[in-house]
Amino acid sequence: MSLAENISKQFAEVSNSNVVELRKNAFTAFEKLGIPSSRHEEWKYTNIKTKLNEQLSLTPVDSQVNAAVKNYIASLPPYSFRIIFLNGVFHPELSIVPDTKGLTVCSLREAFGSHTTLVEKHFGKLINYNEEHFAALNTAFVNDGVFIHVQKNVTVNEPIYVQYFFTASDINAFTQTRSLAIVEEGASIQIAEDFRNASNINVQYNHVSEVFVGKNASIDIVKLQLEVSNAIGIHTLESQVERDGKFSAATVTFSSPNTGTGSAIIRNNVTARLIGENSHADLNGLYFGKENAHIDNHILVDHVAPNCTSNQLYKGVLSGDSTGVFNGKIFVKPDAQKTNAFQSSKALLLSNDASINSKPQLEIFADDVKCSHGAAVGQLDENALFYLRARGITKEEATQILTYAFAHEVIDHIHSKPIRQFLCDKLKDELKVNF
Amino acid sequence: MLSIKNLNVGIAEKQILKDFNLEIKPGEIHAIMGPNGTGKSTLASTLAGKEDYEVLSGEVTFNGKNLLEMSADERAREGVFLAFQYPVEIPGVSTTNFMKAAVNAKRKHQGLEPMDAKDFLKLMREKMALVEMNKEFTSRSVNEGFSGGEKKRNEIFQMAMLEPTLCLLDETDSGLDIDALRIVANGVNKLRDDKRSFLVITHYQRLLNYIVPDYVHVMYGGKIVKSGGKELALKLEEQGYDWIKEENSELV
Ligand SMILES: Nc1ncnc2c1ncn2[C@@H]1O[C@H](COP(=O)(O)OP(=O)(O)O)[C@@H](O)[C@H]1O
Ligand SMILES: [Mg+2]
Repeated sequence: MSLAENISKQFAEVSNSNVVELRKNAFTAFEKLGIPSSRHEEWKYTNIKTKLNEQLSLTPVDSQVNAAVKNYIASLPPYSFRIIFLNGVFHPELSIVPDTKGLTVCSLREAFGSHTTLVEKHFGKLINYNEEHFAALNTAFVNDGVFIHVQKNVTVNEPIYVQYFFTASDINAFTQTRSLAIVEEGASIQIAEDFRNASNINVQYNHVSEVFVGKNASIDIVKLQLEVSNAIGIHTLESQVERDGKFSAATVTFSSPNTGTGSAIIRNNVTARLIGENSHADLNGLYFGKENAHIDNHILVDHVAPNCTSNQLYKGVLSGDSTGVFNGKIFVKPDAQKTNAFQSSKALLLSNDASINSKPQLEIFADDVKCSHGAAVGQLDENALFYLRARGITKEEATQILTYAFAHEVIDHIHSKPIRQFLCDKLKDELKVNF
Repeated sequence: MLSIKNLNVGIAEKQILKDFNLEIKPGEIHAIMGPNGTGKSTLASTLAGKEDYEVLSGEVTFNGKNLLEMSADERAREGVFLAFQYPVEIPGVSTTNFMKAAVNAKRKHQGLEPMDAKDFLKLMREKMALVEMNKEFTSRSVNEGFSGGEKKRNEIFQMAMLEPTLCLLDETDSGLDIDALRIVANGVNKLRDDKRSFLVITHYQRLLNYIVPDYVHVMYGGKIVKSGGKELALKLEEQGYDWIKEENSELV
């Protein structure tokens, strides 16, 4: 059976049928789009079509909560909010959601029933399933995910930590998860989405997040992709920001040594659409590629309303024969006068075989705007290396310290203190820096 | 302590040091003066192990070991310290973390455990006082946004932290106002003892009023052309380098 036949057969069997019309439309769109090949402009450097298995299974298979899973969960930092998915299936018994006034955190499945009007009003509204292959597929097949709603003027101080953990080695599984976050006027929240697979486990997943930032509201979202190996992960994060709202997204990807035969491919599509005046978006990213890892960041800030500001800061560290892709778009629509948009992409290549394709893409249709972008690819500064060595620090350690300093700037931008601290430790660990 | 014999060094296909010779004994202070472009920084950088400089021939022994065989970081751990003419800015690395790595690298080399956090902070405080450095500098990135004088003070602070046996000061006085000069010189003088030697490279006699050398050498055209006591520095201050250039016109 071809991949197309396989997928259409499975769609006929989808039983969970909330938002039926939308799913049908998304499926029809996907049938037209298919899986993109590298002939598609947006997938030129990431050849996903040849990497995905033809016999994909889109329905998640739950698995046992064994000792390894329990140990792993116990090793997580003590976040107040902890939502756990195993192989795409929600596990309430492993999750912790303290009652908080003005805040709803539950599974998307539950929200379809308990918050039907709210979900139907927002679900699928930010994605363009006519053009985005994987967002269309996800919309048609989504099984579960997280629903977060913050009422007007409520500030949630603790991060909502969502863990998508993969333990089942099913080479055919292509897990479709989804989150929906709605933050009403004047409210604020921090969210962390963490994707990990147990070592030696091959996984393929496709995750979509839709994020609505209300007037004068703020969302800080951190996407963690921390031990990427044997994984094909496709992430889409779509956000819409109303007047005076603030949206901040940081995507942090660390690849680890490949333990199996699988690919290590991560694709991130992150979009911030500034639809209300005086709103702001920060899209930041940090990625470490090792061995044959392939890390692709496609980001877009769409300035629709006037007087908005945006910053994009992406930094990559590539070693082995890893590859990076950075595509940073800034669109400034005709009404978006007084836009101030800034983009910076920097990559350190630590080996001769590592490479990056970096492409800024600015499309500006207003005349009174300030937009700038800069891209740098290179090695560590020789003078800085020598300075450290002249103080007795070995070349290896000097390299680690300077790489730490390079990368740390992105982590510094993360607002949530516990997440920032966690990543800071992770970075030290990764680079064996001990201060 | 340091013995340099017939050292020839080139950079970018150009020979800079020509049959350079110098002996430094423990506890001595040697000053090297000379016009710009004569090779003073080349000498200091070569001794510190900067790879851009190519040693064409010659020998350098440091405490009985072949210095030229060691990497830059090994030399530093063995006790060579270069106070840079142009200290480098290291964004994202705090002075505290930088020094922690450097101190512990040296301790590891000596077979010691990393320094205890409390002892380390105490050491930092003590050495910062030596060069009247404000404690806010410790949390700032190394040299980033420092004034010229602050950078030079930071070099002497690092020197004090690492307690080297051979200190190479490359124009540490340039760009300093009189107060900063006094602070830096005081710091150096407090580090003087009968085991620690200094090679003080300077353009001006001024510094040598504060750091009084045992020997003054004049460098020109890649070698030492005149040596004497501290009075030689005074003569250079009065008469400039023209007489040196005339006497040695065949060198360039
Ligand atoms: N990186 C370099 N590439 C080429 N020439 C250099 C380099 N560094 C120094 N030089 C040259 O070497 C000579 C000596 O320089 P330097 O040792 O810095 O002199 P000084 O410190 O006495 O002023 C000068 O002619 C200078 O132009
Ligand atoms: Mg010089």
